Amino acid sequence: MQAALTGFIQLLRSHDLRVSPAETLDAMAVASALGYADRGRLRDGLALSLAKSAREEAILLRCFDQYFGRELVGEKPAAADPAADPATTGQEAPASADEDARLLAEGAAEFAALAEALQTPLLQQLLADDRTELSLSLGQAGAATGLGNIRMFTQKGQYTRRMLDALGEETLRRAVVELEQAGSPLLELLKGYRDRLRDEVRGYVEQQYLLNAEGHNRQFMDDILSRTRLNQLEQRYMDEVRELVRKMARKLAARHSRKPKVHKRGQLDMGRTLRRGIAHDGVMFHTHWRKVRRDKPQILALCDVSGSVAAYAKFLLLFLYSLQDVLPRVRSFAFSSHLGEISELFRDYPVEKAIELANWRYGGATDYGRSLEDFAELALGDINSSTTVIILGDARNNGGDPKLEIMQGIYQRARRVLWLNPESRRAWGSGDSDMLRYQSACHVAAECNNLQQLERIIDQLLRQNH
Amino acid sequence: MHTQDFPQLASIERIEQGFEALGYICSTKIATAVFLAFQLRKPVLVEGPPGVGKTELAKTCSELLSVPLIRLQCYEGLDEAKALYEWKYGKQLLYTQVLKEKLGDLLHGAKGLAESVERLHQFGDIFYSEDFLEPRPLLKAMQQERGAILLIDEVDKSDYEFESLLLEILSDYQVSIPEIGTVKADVSPMVFLTSNNSRDISDALKRRCLHLYIPFPSVELEERIVRSRVPDIDATLRHQLVAFVHSLRELDLKKAPAISETLDWARSLLLLHASELDTALVRSTLNVLLKFEDDINNAESGLDELLRGAGSAG
Repeated sequence: MQAALTGFIQLLRSHDLRVSPAETLDAMAVASALGYADRGRLRDGLALSLAKSAREEAILLRCFDQYFGRELVGEKPAAADPAADPATTGQEAPASADEDARLLAEGAAEFAALAEALQTPLLQQLLADDRTELSLSLGQAGAATGLGNIRMFTQKGQYTRRMLDALGEETLRRAVVELEQAGSPLLELLKGYRDRLRDEVRGYVEQQYLLNAEGHNRQFMDDILSRTRLNQLEQRYMDEVRELVRKMARKLAARHSRKPKVHKRGQLDMGRTLRRGIAHDGVMFHTHWRKVRRDKPQILALCDVSGSVAAYAKFLLLFLYSLQDVLPRVRSFAFSSHLGEISELFRDYPVEKAIELANWRYGGATDYGRSLEDFAELALGDINSSTTVIILGDARNNGGDPKLEIMQGIYQRARRVLWLNPESRRAWGSGDSDMLRYQSACHVAAECNNLQQLERIIDQLLRQNH
Repeated sequence: MHTQDFPQLASIERIEQGFEALGYICSTKIATAVFLAFQLRKPVLVEGPPGVGKTELAKTCSELLSVPLIRLQCYEGLDEAKALYEWKYGKQLLYTQVLKEKLGDLLHGAKGLAESVERLHQFGDIFYSEDFLEPRPLLKAMQQERGAILLIDEVDKSDYEFESLLLEILSDYQVSIPEIGTVKADVSPMVFLTSNNSRDISDALKRRCLHLYIPFPSVELEERIVRSRVPDIDATLRHQLVAFVHSLRELDLKKAPAISETLDWARSLLLLHASELDTALVRSTLNVLLKFEDDINNAESGLDELLRGAGSAG
């Protein structure tokens, strides 16, 4: 039973639940405290100890039903009977099974291959309709052929064949061929058993595919999505991408919130300690230590929401606002023809809705000069040495005045200025792009057009804030 | 806590029965969580919408076991001086004043500063001993002889730093006090942490806990709860009001009515001698269930339909 439990945990891991070795031990302890007899209880218990949020619990329960639906053999698997097709196997009630066995045994005298097939445990199990033995053999054959490694649905046929070979279906096949050549009336009967076996194996492979491949396929998909250019993502993947962004954000938040705060306990400040002691008749009760104090970082994000960049802005904002725990002070501004603060939209609406509203409010022909002027008026006074300014835009100014002096002003005051440009570096400065000029007033100018790059940049950002 | 001391917790069924006798009707899952927490000596992190009985669970446990309930309400800025322990500064100060006079005798005959300091060193740090220690909830829970129920309420309201402070206590049931050493609980307390999910709890903390999510109860369970808490109410009315509350929860509300609101409502209906739900009655008592003006307006607009759904005369 322990093997089943570790198998289950393996499955959970492939479905994105992080289960540490210590938690595996917890699960074992839970299982031994509750016993394996009551399925529902074990289900509750494992959910309690392994899942860490309501979302994870739902995944876990689904996996549990999938996995232990097969594993608890004693319960007679209900769904594992895909061979219910009456045309081939309908007559296989236990009573007629004995009859079949007798008929086949009679035929064995005549046909050598049939006699051989009857000797194999496989046909015996089929004849006796011994589900427990059969599912055990299936499990063994599955382990022997490495069925757990199945990843693609195209592999199903191949694995089914391998499973059949491992089960020793060959003798059965030969017996069928022999009967066919002789035109024996037993042919249909034996064929029925062979088809039944094949269905059984196919069903098992299907189930294993669902168990093992689903999680991996999702990882595979995530991998592809995170490398696709954001403005080329198809609409139907949007939900998945949003989920992916949240996942990445959670990961970053977890990584950076774990870091201990730099709150150094410095040297003893003798002067202050003595002064404080005066109140206590010169007894120094309260010691005073020099501390290194770090302000929480403030982030100002300026996003170009004109048509060409809007898709990227959406994801940057989604990212920043998913990081509220580690970056509590994000102010966001949207601009195109002019600029305005959109922070309050994020307070009042869910992120997606807020982005939509911002698009609608500030969209139009891009004017970087005017937008920078607006920004300077709104927020330049708030920029200080703990402020990071992130600008997302393609710097295509439609030939207008870039107002570089404002950028330089921001550059001098802020702790860091980051410019994220969705265009590739080669296109910077071409045509009406003012990127090369703006670049001179940025600490970092980076190309950013897929989720991986975005994640990397924000990771760096967080790291330097500590 | 050991099994032989608390036969009430010996099996899941007994826990369910014990809770029921105390008027706390729970699902098997909750009972399983309590059972496992006790068997594996692990804290339980209870999450769920407000008002589903998270805090009540801890209270009922303490009643069931007749051990003290020690409660720590978390808030932003909570630190170890308020949660764990503090030195009794006043007492320390008083004692130094008293002992100052003794200082002369002590140092009598000492030659030079070096020798005086040498003599003073021979005394231990008496001011930082257990006599001067003021235990706060967490330390107090460790010191109970018969064990205790420790309720750390709304842990999501506290800061991240405070969570790290909890880690040592929750995994080993011990507290490290730099001046004294490690204080370990003889009888480990049973710990419940509650969270309303206003922020994510760190993985390290979650890993040490059993994670129990209490959702709104099913109709059947909620009826049992109402029956046990408001036994005088008529069966048909009870059925109607629970069905009505359930249909309210389906609406897009700022704050969906929780069990505590259902119970309040049932009590108010009882006071009004109502035998059946009707539109006027519901309209006049809706403010017991819903706490926001918008929600009330929202519910009132579809009131007739909701009532029809709840199977009343309308």
